Formats: sequence, structure tokens, C-alpha cells
Amino acid sequence: MTERPDDIATVESAMLEWAQNHGDRGVFTTDTSLRIKSWNSWLGIATGLSPAKAIGQPLLELFPSLAERGLDQAYKEALAGQVKILSHSLHRYVLPSATGEEQMPQRGQISPLTGKGRVVGTLTIVEDVSERMATERELRARIAAAERARLTAETASRVKDEFLATLSHEIRTPLNAVLGWTQILQSRDFDKETVRRAIEVIDRNASAQLTLISDMLDMARIATGKIRLEVVDLDVATIVGSAMDAVQPAATAKDVVLTAEFAPNLPTVRADRDRLLQVVWNLLSNAVKFTDPGGRVIVGAAASGNAVCLTVSDTGHGIPAQFLPQVFERFKQADASSARRHGGLGLGLALVRELVEMHGGTVKAESPGVGQGSTFTVMLPVTRADAAAAPPLAAASASMPTLGGIRVLVVEDEPDAREILVQSLTDVGAAVTAVTCAREALAALRDDGNTHTDVVITDIGMPDYDGYSLLKELRKLPEAQGGRVPAIAVTAYATVEDRRRALEAGFVAHIAKPFAPKRLIATIARAVAARSA
Amino acid sequence: MTLTESQRDALVELLNIGFGRAGASLSKLTGQRILLEVPVVDIHPVAQLDASLRKVGAGNVASVHQVFSGPVGGDALLILDPQAASTLKELLTDEPALPLELDASSREVLTEVGNILLNACIGTFGNLLRVPMSFAVPDIDVATLRTVVAKLVASGDAMRYALVVTAGFKLRDASVTGYVVIVLTVQSLTRLLIAVEEWVVREERLS
Repeated sequence: MTERPDDIATVESAMLEWAQNHGDRGVFTTDTSLRIKSWNSWLGIATGLSPAKAIGQPLLELFPSLAERGLDQAYKEALAGQVKILSHSLHRYVLPSATGEEQMPQRGQISPLTGKGRVVGTLTIVEDVSERMATERELRARIAAAERARLTAETASRVKDEFLATLSHEIRTPLNAVLGWTQILQSRDFDKETVRRAIEVIDRNASAQLTLISDMLDMARIATGKIRLEVVDLDVATIVGSAMDAVQPAATAKDVVLTAEFAPNLPTVRADRDRLLQVVWNLLSNAVKFTDPGGRVIVGAAASGNAVCLTVSDTGHGIPAQFLPQVFERFKQADASSARRHGGLGLGLALVRELVEMHGGTVKAESPGVGQGSTFTVMLPVTRADAAAAPPLAAASASMPTLGGIRVLVVEDEPDAREILVQSLTDVGAAVTAVTCAREALAALRDDGNTHTDVVITDIGMPDYDGYSLLKELRKLPEAQGGRVPAIAVTAYATVEDRRRALEAGFVAHIAKPFAPKRLIATIARAVAARSA
Repeated sequence: MTLTESQRDALVELLNIGFGRAGASLSKLTGQRILLEVPVVDIHPVAQLDASLRKVGAGNVASVHQVFSGPVGGDALLILDPQAASTLKELLTDEPALPLELDASSREVLTEVGNILLNACIGTFGNLLRVPMSFAVPDIDVATLRTVVAKLVASGDAMRYALVVTAGFKLRDASVTGYVVIVLTVQSLTRLLIAVEEWVVREERLS
């Protein structure tokens, strides 16, 4: 079947009409004098010029911005037979948008129209590239975000590696001293002075390791939200005093002068006693650690609005400006190299910030620069007048009580721990019976006849029956068999939660392992005194 | 077919005029000084194009392709390795480039640049031969060189020659190298070379 010429003409004119009204891009033609010959409705919307207004007009006069942007040259070249591509990146747009509207991003293409071997005009196609620009922007943002995430992950992994290296070093160093001296002590008999010195070294190193491990566990508990504060009204001066007492030996050994400057009549703060002590102790020991012999550390406390402002200033090494924003970050130390001069895990200040923030306070670090000392400032909210019911806790008495004549039953499955308990209690005059499990403990209580046990000290974690089961059985006994004897838990289950649980179960006190004998003795004395009262 | 020294010199000189014009258009367009280095010209049977362009690399390349027709007709291509393509785009537009496969804006800029460069080269030949030439709309492809060459070989007479022009762009203290490939039939190439020699004679007479 052959098509008749008029069919072809009909289809062609229909196609032109379609392009005129329904095309998704702008199409216009000019003659060789660049007078507009056709202008589709897409262009009418995009430029605000209807076909009726555009057709017949000289293109470069209708849109002076074309010549201003050098596009008259592109039309000249098109009339000379060349095809011109107008990319969005280099031209932004081809035709300006209707006045007052945001410029539509466009790309364009100008082609010569040829007929019978010569150029008879130009054809311009304009496309809206907004969507493409948005996609590419999005892609760029995603690539940048992925890159940032990669960098963050890399940094985190590096920080963790550094931390692990530090951790392994810091944990091994005190162990080295402890094991070294215990092996030496076992090898033969030494004179008293050597033994005393050895024990002092062992004690110091074991304490240092305990601090490291406590810091780490605290940090982990904070990270998992497992730490709870037992807030009471506290006198800041008392807490600072206790912390200073604890740090004083280290300061003295280093020839660093520790002084306090307290404003009179400080208001009380709502805080957890142990945690606040930990904050102050960390700041103080940090200051002492980074101050050279002959330097000073000054602790100040003053009321400031609704807060108590606590400052710890030193004349020490100072903090490089670029490290200041990171001092409270976990595992960060200004010098993380293996040759660094200062021990520690870099957790102390991170803990300080976490704990202070848990109290609703703030902490900041300032330093004029390296070698010029630094100042840490903690702001703690004061007790509101309506909440100030309880009087501030006084510092614990320092004098060591004795336990002369007090009968203690020690329940501990672990032989070394049992021995330490027996030794430290016998030393202060207690009559100690030691057993290894709950069953033996109950038997001992039943058997002790007329010589009543005054207090039971028990471990919590033991095979078969734990400390809680023991306490439950104990309370079932008649009073004559020790059914109401006070019990104290001494355990490595050392969290605030464990403490709460022990007290709720009926223990009169909960003492975390490793314990300070002084504290255990004082607790026993109190428990016995309370019972006889 | 090989080029004699004088043919090669003449072609270089002619292309250099075209490159000068292309550089000027690009400078005007981008507002920065863009120079095209003196081109290096070589001629190979189209079937050997793959080997002669091996230095472009084994991975994907960006190729801007434009068909031209008239008494002398053929294919013109600008070929850039992806690194050169991205660098060129970034230098010209100040926008970071994404991988070419994803970046329509980059492809579009390269199409415009390729079009300017190819028009300058082919236009020079047209003027020289005093024949009208018409150009199709250029398109850009991101594919391996092997694919690009295979398409060219398959698209026409096997007995064709390729003028390979090494084009160095210099802008903002950086240098980017691309390759212009002009594929001609034996007949078109012969006509071109005759015209080139006539041009040399004319120029010598003038000087």
C-alpha cells in the first residue's frame, strides 16, 4: 500500500501541532535573520511570552541577555552550519524565566536548519534540568555523607586502637610491680624494712589498678545508662576536703602544693556523695599529675547564682588550644604516643563530665596555652530552699575503732579473700570464726551455743547457696541461734544496683571488694553498736 | 598510507589554528584562560585504532562523538580517560565531578567542550577544502575504548583511516590530555591531503 502525499502532509502537520502543544521541552525556530518563526506553548509557560507575542520578533532583541552571555555567537555559528550544545554547568540557562520567577535551570541545543543544501534558519531546543540538578545534589550529599561516615569510623577505630594499647600498658605496669615483689618476697626471708617497702609498692600499684578498672567500669555503666545517683544535700567543702586528703600524699611526694580557697557560707548541693567525691578527686589528681615539682594546685569554691562554682587551677603543663575541645572525650590524651610521660587511660576527665552532667551541672576546661597551667570549672546546681530538708553529711570520723571482744562470723568461699578478712578483723581484736559456705555458716551459728555471734560478714557470690540465700535462712533461725544477728555483705558485685539490692534484702551494709579494712571495721562497729542500742 | 613530513607539518599547523579558535571560545565561555597545546598528529588504519589509543587505558573512557557529512564525511570523536574527563569538568565549572556514569552534568559539559573542539577541527578542514559540511548533534558515551572502536569499525567501510590528534588542554596551572580522532574514507583523506598540499603551496606563495 502506498501512502498518498496528502496523508503524509496530514501526519506531519499533526506532529508539529503535538510538538507545539504537548512537548516536554521548549522548541523554537528562527529564520536566517534570527527572527522567531515558531514558539511552542512550553516556552510560553517558561518565559511568560505567548507564541503570539514571540513569533515574528527578532530573537536577540526579545532576549537581550542572549547577546550579553555571548550566545549571539552560538547563533552565528549555527547559521554557519554548526551544532551548538549549551550545557547547564557552563550557561545556567538559555532563555530567562518569566519576570519575578526563579530562573529555571536549563540546557539547550542550537542546530542549523538546512534545506536544499543551504542553511535556512535555526532550531533551538531548551530542556528543564531542575530534576537532574536535584538528583545530582542529592548524590553529592550522599557521597559526602558516606565519606564523613568513613572518616568518623576510621577515627573511632584509631582511637580504640590507641586506647587498647594504652589499656594494656596501664594494666600491665602495676601488675608488673605487684607480681615482681610477691615473687621476690616468696623467694626467701627479708628484713622487716624491705617487706614493708615491698608491701607499700604492692599496695600502691594494686590501688592504681583498682582506680583504672573502676573508671572503666563506671564509664561502661554510664554508657549503658546503668548508673544511678543517690542524691542527698551535701556540703561541697566537706567533699573537697575528703578529696584533698586522698590526693595529698601524691602531691606531697611530687612537691606540689595543694591549697583550698573556699568562700564562706556555701550553699549545699544535691549530689551523690561518692560520685561528687570521684569528680573532685579526678580533677585534683589530674592537676597534680600534670604539674611539675614546685608547682601549685588551688581548689576554689564559691556560690554563683543558683550554682556552686568549683574550680581546680594548676600551674602545670597547660593544654594545647587545639586539644581543649577534646579534653572531656573518652580515651583522649593530648599525647597518645607510647613515649608519653603520663600514665592513665584518658578516662578520668570523660567520667568527670558524665558525672557532672548527670548532676545537672556543667564542666569546662580553660588554658592560656602549653606551659601556662589550666583551670577546670564545675558548676553544680544548689539545693533549692524547699528541698533543703536533710542536714549535710559530715565527713566520716578518721579515727580507727577497735573490735575488741566482738564475735564475727566470716563466710567466704575464696581462700585468699577469707584470709584477708580474718587477718584484718583479728588485728583489731575481733574474735573471728571463718567458714567457706552458707551451710557451714548456719551450722556454726546453731552450734555456737552461748557465745553469740555479734555480726555475720558474708560474700554474695558463692557456689550452691549465695549470700542472699544465707541471709534468708539465717532470718528463719530463732533469735537464740542468731536469727537476728546483723549481716554485712562484702562482695565484688559493686554497682549501685547491687548495693541497693543487698540493702533491700536485709543486709545492714554493703561493702564493695576490694575493701579498705578501715571502712569494714567502722561498719562492723556501727552495726554492732546499732544492735545493742 | 602514511603522512610525509611536510603533510604532517601542514596538518599540525592547520589544526593548531583550529585549536587556537577552540581555546578562545572556551576561555570566553568559562572566563578563564584556556590554551590548547600544539597538537600531535598521526594516521592509522581504522582497524589499528585500538592499539594506537591503548595509552588511554583499559577501563571506561568518555567519548564525544559527532558525525559530519558533505563532500568529505566521517566520524569525529574526542576521547578522554575518566580522570581527565573529571578534571576537565571540575576545572571548567568549579563544581566537583561525580563518577561519569552518574553525572549527567559532567557528561553535558564534556559534550559541549567536545563539540567546540571537534567543530574547530572539522570546520578548519571544511574551510580549507572549500566544501560545505554539516554536523549531526554530538553525543557522549561512557564505555571501554574497545567498544568505542568496535562501533566505529562496524559503522562503515573497513578501508578507512583515522587521524589521531593528541590535544593537551592547559588551564589553571593544570594540563589535561585528550585525543581527537577523525575517521575518514580513503577518498576523503586523499582529498584532504591534496587540499593540504595546495594550501601549503598557497601559503608559500603568499610569504
